[in-house]
Amino acid sequence: MRDRETRGLVLMLLPYLFGISVLVALPAIVTFALALYEYDLIRSPRFVGLGNFDELVDDEVFRISVRNSLMFILFAVPLRLAGAVALALLLHRRFRGVGAYRTAGVLPTVVPDVAYALLWLWIFNPLYGPLNLALEALGGPTPRWLTDPRAAQWAVIVMSLFTIGEGFLVALATRQSLPHELYELADLEAAKPWYVFGRVTLPLMAPTLLLLLFRDTIFSFQANFVPALIVTEGGPPPYATTYLPLFVYQNAFEYLRYGYAAAATVSMFLITAAIVYIQYRIVRRWRHAFVV
Amino acid sequence: MAALGYAGVRKDYGDVTALRDLELEVGEGELLALVGPSGSGKSTALRLAAGLEDVSAGSISIGGRDVTRLPPAKRNVSMVFESYALFPHLSAAENIGFGLRARGLPRRELSGRVLEAATLTGCERLLERKPHQLSGGERQRVALARALARRPDVFLLDEPLSNLDAQLRVDTRAELKRLHQRLGATMVYVTHDQVEALTLGDRVAVLHEGTLQQLDAPDAVYRRPVNRFVARFIGSPSMNLLATEAEGELLHAGPFDIPRPRGLRARRLEAGIRPEHVELAGDGAGTPARVEVVERAGSETLVYLVADGVELVARASPDVRLTVGATMHVGVAARNVYLFDAETGETLASLE
Repeated sequence: MRDRETRGLVLMLLPYLFGISVLVALPAIVTFALALYEYDLIRSPRFVGLGNFDELVDDEVFRISVRNSLMFILFAVPLRLAGAVALALLLHRRFRGVGAYRTAGVLPTVVPDVAYALLWLWIFNPLYGPLNLALEALGGPTPRWLTDPRAAQWAVIVMSLFTIGEGFLVALATRQSLPHELYELADLEAAKPWYVFGRVTLPLMAPTLLLLLFRDTIFSFQANFVPALIVTEGGPPPYATTYLPLFVYQNAFEYLRYGYAAAATVSMFLITAAIVYIQYRIVRRWRHAFVV
Repeated sequence: MAALGYAGVRKDYGDVTALRDLELEVGEGELLALVGPSGSGKSTALRLAAGLEDVSAGSISIGGRDVTRLPPAKRNVSMVFESYALFPHLSAAENIGFGLRARGLPRRELSGRVLEAATLTGCERLLERKPHQLSGGERQRVALARALARRPDVFLLDEPLSNLDAQLRVDTRAELKRLHQRLGATMVYVTHDQVEALTLGDRVAVLHEGTLQQLDAPDAVYRRPVNRFVARFIGSPSMNLLATEAEGELLHAGPFDIPRPRGLRARRLEAGIRPEHVELAGDGAGTPARVEVVERAGSETLVYLVADGVELVARASPDVRLTVGATMHVGVAARNVYLFDAETGETLASLE
């Protein structure tokens, strides 16, 4: 009986295992290996050791890309997390039309990336785009979104703030699983909304939010690829919105430097791992506060 | 002036009426037990007093002040939930002090009040612990201490003992009673357990299908139930209920013949007999009855019998020797028989 159960489980896992080895594990290994070679699809690969990495360190564009990526994460990750939580807290109650609002919250995330990017190209248009029209009507500043370097960097961050559907759903489910008696008690004890948020809701949601934080940090390194490629094309010149994924893409598919691109990918992986490790260390210090 | 008053309170959930026309006054310092089966509206009544639900009609007052439109925070009531509703990430002390801190009590007063409340319920040595490090009974003490710490006008307790095991429940029940006597606090205690209601309550309010059936001292609820529902619900095992047939001056109720009271001749009647009033004898007078099941519970023995095709339960002294399948003789004193209107269920007479 147990053997049959195990066999059944293995059988059901097999398609997934196959997919993950062929589509994820194998390419990852190839990438790691390729980072040590020079390869342009035409000549056969040439082993260069850590040469690619030496070159990366001196590459001005790579350094700008790393800085851009880090700045993007610094602003995008906390804002995305705050947005997901705010949306979840706003929409966790039942009220008329709540389903429509929740769907609206998730929708930008499930729109194909390219369509989403093209839409923002229109929204950000400095002359007739709805964003600047609205800002003008309110008497606010009307930046030249895609041609001013600072504004373009913010534009990419703003674009990322609406694709928080997954984080929103996870936060929503977490909020809904909190026992309602706790909130009734808080009501009876005259706790003010902010007090309840800080003393009850946030600590109880913290384990999930930390998971979302790690996940979003990893994800955000890649989240700016399509916007940077389609909306800002890595500019305004020279490299205001050239992020690591775009750097990799350009080196691989425009300059046909596959080995060099692989080395950049490996660097990106190591930087991500380092950040997540640092986050984890910080979190572990005050983790006892959240253990439930 | 009533500490807590319901005047014509009604609560509807859509088409369902959970509570209808509740008139109830809880006196200052009284412990009122609100008892009924699930779905009777007892918890609804409590939540309405707390302000966690809005009344559909009627008004609620606390200490003579109309609170019907006030939010929970402004009613100055404390509640103990069946699930305790302790914050899992806060220590016992932080849980107890939650309401005080939320109301902005200065820190130096806070710890004193927390310790005082914790000492009253006997959890002063658990203050550093988190709820998951506490047993069910300890959690219950912390929840109770939290309610005490605020010194509210009224305590609302929603089945606070139902998650405890039997022995602990009995102990905690007695402790709660002592605590109430010592503090002289006004408490409303909701329970589905009629033993808890009778033992704890200064008065007992019996609810059924959203309607208050009877409000009386525990003894009166037991001895003079106003209708068949109260008679059957209060007391364990339930009162024996027998259809009757009139014949001349007598009423036949299963195996029993009882004198037919004057003035009730027009109605169809049902007879109720408490298990302890079924008299058992080895021989002699009475109708023969076959012993089906014998439950020995130490201080008493419950006997399930069949007589004249009717099932009966009797409470017997543990000294009585009984064997399954044996024949006993059952009888009842006329004064121990309750008569109910078969249609309305109303108590017509106790022949007492």
